[in-house]
Amino acid sequence: MRLPILFFRLYLLALFCFVFAPIVTSTVFSFNSDRFPTMPLGHFTTQWYQTAFARPEVWEAFRNSMTVALSAATLSTALGFATAYTDFRFGFRFKPAYLALALLPPTIPLVIMGLAMLAWLGQLGLSGTITGIVIAHTVMAAPFAMAICRLRLQQMDASLEAAAWNLGASPWRAMRVVVVPFCLPAIISAFCLTAAVSFDEFIVAWFVSGLNRTVPVMILEILQGNVDPQINAIGTVVFITSITLVVAAQLLLLGRTAR
Amino acid sequence: MTGAAPLVRFSQVRKSYGAIEAVRGIDLDIGRGEFVAIMGPSGCGKTTTLRMLAGLEIPTAGTITIDGRVTNRLPAHERDTPLVWQSLALFPFLDVAQNVEFGLKMRDVPRAERQARVALWLERLGLEGFEHRPIDQLSGGQKQRVALARSLITEPEMLLLDEPLSALDAHLVVRMQGVLTRLQKELGITFVYVTHSQSEAFAMSDRVVIMGHGEIVQIGRPREIFRAPRNRFVAEFVGHNNILSGTVTQGEIDVDGVRLPLAGVSDGPAEIVVAADRMEIYGSPPSSPALKAAFVSEEFAGAGVICHFEGPGDLELRAQVPEARLAELSPEPGKPFWLAWAADSPHVLTHREGRT
Repeated sequence: MRLPILFFRLYLLALFCFVFAPIVTSTVFSFNSDRFPTMPLGHFTTQWYQTAFARPEVWEAFRNSMTVALSAATLSTALGFATAYTDFRFGFRFKPAYLALALLPPTIPLVIMGLAMLAWLGQLGLSGTITGIVIAHTVMAAPFAMAICRLRLQQMDASLEAAAWNLGASPWRAMRVVVVPFCLPAIISAFCLTAAVSFDEFIVAWFVSGLNRTVPVMILEILQGNVDPQINAIGTVVFITSITLVVAAQLLLLGRTAR
Repeated sequence: MTGAAPLVRFSQVRKSYGAIEAVRGIDLDIGRGEFVAIMGPSGCGKTTTLRMLAGLEIPTAGTITIDGRVTNRLPAHERDTPLVWQSLALFPFLDVAQNVEFGLKMRDVPRAERQARVALWLERLGLEGFEHRPIDQLSGGQKQRVALARSLITEPEMLLLDEPLSALDAHLVVRMQGVLTRLQKELGITFVYVTHSQSEAFAMSDRVVIMGHGEIVQIGRPREIFRAPRNRFVAEFVGHNNILSGTVTQGEIDVDGVRLPLAGVSDGPAEIVVAADRMEIYGSPPSSPALKAAFVSEEFAGAGVICHFEGPGDLELRAQVPEARLAELSPEPGKPFWLAWAADSPHVLTHREGRT
């Protein structure tokens, strides 16, 4: 009994080391004075952060990424919640097909998705625009939002909404005062998670971004030029942003489910 | 409850879901201030009937009139027919006071009045001091009272209850029954109470409506339903009844070769009901005719002990016996007993093929 548990714990530890080692390395070297990542380390410095964030294009990329992440998160959370509610509330004939369609985007290879988005947004005259990236990221992130909202709705007593009607709330008002408040932790969590998905997303953004580069696209372009600890500095900021969003999402979800 | 115009009238109301008919043409009048229990096994259409009254289901055919107005399609939120849900359906993200004031808020009652009425209703139901308690920190009985306060705060003419006590412990059920009957008398409003529990229905209501397979089988006062079930379905559902069939000749019924008294019934085949509390049991053959049956088990039921017997031809028999008397008889499984009744005890079922 004891030995397998010990083995399992070691395995888990190794797994986390494997996943986080590159990130930790990158963070460590972002504060290292040496130009190249070599051991032993030089002295502690924040100069790479200073040089990186002194560049206007880095700020521009962060601004773009923030705009895209917030817009895409808002849209995909709204869309995901609406889809999940439709599934919760109504029974209809082609529901399995509807659900399959709603959950389809994450299964499409990203390169294909990027190409398709490029062609389609080009037709609409939106390729290379921030709006274009928002649309692409909304499509990609909405299924995650839907999955999270659906999970929460499944915990809702179906008579809760009917109880609101019964006490004089019109269907819209019941939605506002009962369904949305009940789902609020899931909605905020979905918002955080979809923002993280959008903020990190590289491939599709690379296809459709054009001159309005997001952070991941900019990182690639800097990398193609020269390897420089500035990348580590930018990478660390990106990582902290994403992990904060994901952890916030998890805390909200687990906090409510545990009750 | 006749006389004045009824508060609610169901007239040939039907409800089907696709090919399934949940309610098959019911007619029912409910008077003002009446406590009506709708009782039946699961799937009998009682909850659907209640939901139609609340506007949560639209009848497929027929009309439902509330206060003289046809309300078939009136949306739920435009009615004043609050419902106490089986799950209680309290809003978990609101505290006690916010739950209770919900109905007033939806009617845009000003804040000051809402607070005053919440205070009044919390006091009425013994919930003072719980205003800001979250719902998940209440006991079962407290939740029940919050649900009642939430439904009654708009002072409706009618309260609908859908098996509200089914999740409570036995001792709380009895206490809540007391709370409910007291409230109903004090407020003088109509209660429509759906349940599958005979004891709840009989303990509280003025009239009991027995439903089976989407139809109303019998309507009557609890005593009538208990003593004079209309058919086998009701007799079986009400429980603690003995259902026997035999041939009647000259004031006696022949049950499996034993001739037992049966007053006022003409000759011919008959099916009769004898309530368990009207059945006499003897430890040795009595001088008068009696059915011989083997003791099976006993079931303690407060006022007495319900004893189960197996009679001739696998006939299931029950008798309610005072505890002290049972001790004298020292029953044990398989031991023979003799069962009989007074001539005026049996009730004759009018329909032999009573199942609907």
